[in-house]
Amino acid sequence: MNKDFTCLFAGEAGYGVMSAGSTLAKAAGRNGLWAFVVNEYPSLIKGGLNTCLVRLAASPLQAHEESLDFFAGLSQEGLEQNYSRLKPGAALLVDTAIKVESSRLPSDVRVYLLPLIQKGSGDVAKIMSNSAMLGAFCAISGFPLELVETVLAGEFKPEVFAKNRELLRAAFELAAEQAVVASFPLPVGANPAQKMLINGNDAISMGAIQAGCKFAAGYPMTPGSSVLTYLADHGPQFGLVFKQAEDEIAAMNMLIGAGYAGVRAIGSTSGGGFALMVEALGFAGLAEVPVVMVNAQRGGPSTGQPTRTAQADLAFVINSSQGEFPRIVLAVGDVEECFVETFRAFNLAEKYQIPVIILTDKYLADSSVTHPFFNTNGLTIERGKLADETWLAANRPYKRYEFTDDGVSVRAVPGMAGGRHIATSYTHGEDGFYSSGNREYAATEPEITVKALDKLFAKEPHILAELPAVKLHGPETADLTLVAWGSTKGAALEAMELAKAAGLSVNLLQVLYMSPFPAAAVEAVLGKAKHTLLLEGNKTAQLGALIRMHTGIYIDDNYLKYDSRAFTPSLILEKIKEVLA
Amino acid sequence: MSASDVNLQYVPTWCPGCGNFGIFNSLKKAFATLQLDLEQTVLVNGIGCSSKIGQYVNCYRIETLHGRSLPVATGVKLANHSLTVIAEGGDGDGMGLGMGHFVHTARRNLDISYFIHNNQVYGLTKGQTSPTSEPGMLTKFTPPPLGNVERPVNIVDMAISLGASFVARSYTGDMNHLADMMAQAISHRGFAVLDILQPCVSFNAINTYAWYQQRVRRIAETHDPENRDQARALAGLWGDEIPVGVFLREERPTFADSLAQLKDGPLASRPLEGADISGLMEELA
Repeated sequence: MNKDFTCLFAGEAGYGVMSAGSTLAKAAGRNGLWAFVVNEYPSLIKGGLNTCLVRLAASPLQAHEESLDFFAGLSQEGLEQNYSRLKPGAALLVDTAIKVESSRLPSDVRVYLLPLIQKGSGDVAKIMSNSAMLGAFCAISGFPLELVETVLAGEFKPEVFAKNRELLRAAFELAAEQAVVASFPLPVGANPAQKMLINGNDAISMGAIQAGCKFAAGYPMTPGSSVLTYLADHGPQFGLVFKQAEDEIAAMNMLIGAGYAGVRAIGSTSGGGFALMVEALGFAGLAEVPVVMVNAQRGGPSTGQPTRTAQADLAFVINSSQGEFPRIVLAVGDVEECFVETFRAFNLAEKYQIPVIILTDKYLADSSVTHPFFNTNGLTIERGKLADETWLAANRPYKRYEFTDDGVSVRAVPGMAGGRHIATSYTHGEDGFYSSGNREYAATEPEITVKALDKLFAKEPHILAELPAVKLHGPETADLTLVAWGSTKGAALEAMELAKAAGLSVNLLQVLYMSPFPAAAVEAVLGKAKHTLLLEGNKTAQLGALIRMHTGIYIDDNYLKYDSRAFTPSLILEKIKEVLA
Repeated sequence: MSASDVNLQYVPTWCPGCGNFGIFNSLKKAFATLQLDLEQTVLVNGIGCSSKIGQYVNCYRIETLHGRSLPVATGVKLANHSLTVIAEGGDGDGMGLGMGHFVHTARRNLDISYFIHNNQVYGLTKGQTSPTSEPGMLTKFTPPPLGNVERPVNIVDMAISLGASFVARSYTGDMNHLADMMAQAISHRGFAVLDILQPCVSFNAINTYAWYQQRVRRIAETHDPENRDQARALAGLWGDEIPVGVFLREERPTFADSLAQLKDGPLASRPLEGADISGLMEELA
């Protein structure tokens, strides 16, 4: 098994602990190691406790662990909350102003009290404290200082870098005087393979850009907004327009307008914002307007926990909006899926003329991981039955909502000669006309209503046939089958490996596409499973309920984690052992 | 193109005598006057009696949700700014549910025309107060003895103060004037608001054709529509005399003008293929 090293940087908001973490992760990632970085922060701007956990290993990582090899702290609160996470033999580095209670430390913890917090006032002093912390970290852990310097050199202006380097080195020297210099436990060396330090929302944004998305709209809501920030910043060079809307209702309707006019469009929000969008979601469903939405889940209900993670919007999202209509909901599990499946989401939205919702969560959206560059070969843009003027000239009169075997009709967009039609939020017939009250339609209204709904749902079998709806990880058969979705994938996969090393036979069913529900694919796996364990970040076993509803299969055991933090491999391993005992 | 080319085969379901017939006819006339290319024209409707107009007009239409015509129109316009985009809806639709969108769309000055069918009552839900209802008006939701106790929204005054770059009012009983105002609004480059006074023959017993005939006065030719203060002073008039005509006309850059991404043509006509994201990945290396 992968030997790993976990360090937690902690301090008040504004002290740059997150950049300390990402600097270390980048330095490691550029030199042959792999990193997983988890940021935790309360919903405030200054003060409060921010932590940045960096887990490093010699092979790819997909989750974090709670226990710490190193704690580096600039605040008392940071230490108070993390005594119990220190491993025996860990190193503890704190500012001299911080009081350490030796009795609360595990055995053999090496304590380093150093002047880290810089004198002077203002944000500059705070950020410099961060450099001091990194310098001392290098001396104590044995992580090469020059690798950290190289990363910082690339991120600061020369004069700012010079000041930080000075401090970095001074703190390094000071710490080295005290320290029995430890050698860093992982093989740090140059590695030519380029890797990114990327989070899930960046990967979704890149997937959208690769897919030719040209319009984004939204209203800020953590943790969904970073997709919008990314696209606002990087989109223009790819011809993308981002519009900050007055509210989520406006955002969703703008996306529908753009989708109707033939442009690939994306929005991003979290559960509360999504709740405001759902009337328009139904509109997109009935009017068959392609649109892609990201819902990055946070703790709920209501305002809930803005900066903490949860997997509790599944039941809501697959059922959101009044009436019945198909939508595609996909639950990405890692940054690779964030990229590839977002690309696919745009194709699906246009091929099936349907809203597609990408379900992610704070943990995946916000945690960074070293990852190889995305492979863009073989990603082909498919627009489905999009009309052109030649087709429209040959097929008159044009019927926007013509009933077809696969439920998909040829789509014309404004500006195309011969494609004039009405797209509407009313239940409608083949030409889009409203089916109630008008004498032309009144007599056939019940018939049209049935046909219109059947048309929408005729898409589902075709969607299901195309989707890579589930993934079975590990051996075909096992004593225990884990069932998980979304960001729990990473911890579950690692737990599966840990179990294997412990001589246990475990595999993992990941449900990637949640709507339309891939009942047959899930049944094929679970029908053969000997014993099943469901892992979900919610209180009510939402995926479990879906599985039961669609397949009649009851999952044997549940491990539900709804404490606002993500699963870790060791926690899952413990549960596996308990279930298999 | 003549006005009849704008007709579809469906027969409108408005009540006999409804002001919407006048609006419908004026719209067709305005389209014909401007010789609009119907393939390049998008009518974005809200929901309500007003918005049924989209079911009878032969251009591209999108019939949205109650109150949401403006954000949808915004999306259409940003996706393809070469299109002529007209949003429309009622006073309930646009000044009730859609008020937030109205405020912000006006601030943006996108090149969209917005026609508000203002009958001062909710029609399709059968007679409740609207944000433009007269004080004292008796409706299903504001029964006697008090009736409506809220002050009405002054659409024209608000549009001017919010930053709409063309603001006009007309009356459905004067179809030539209305068609002219519509044509001017569509021709205007920027957000053009047209407040259309329209009797509801079923649910509004106050603001009838006779009531309007006595009060509606065309704005004098001496009014300078480029003078904001004059426009606002005029907009404050309501009662025995109700001015109709162009209150404000201002040439200024539209929201789309500020976007470098749109300089090379509409987003909708750009190729989707060929995004090279290697630079984005290197940035994170």
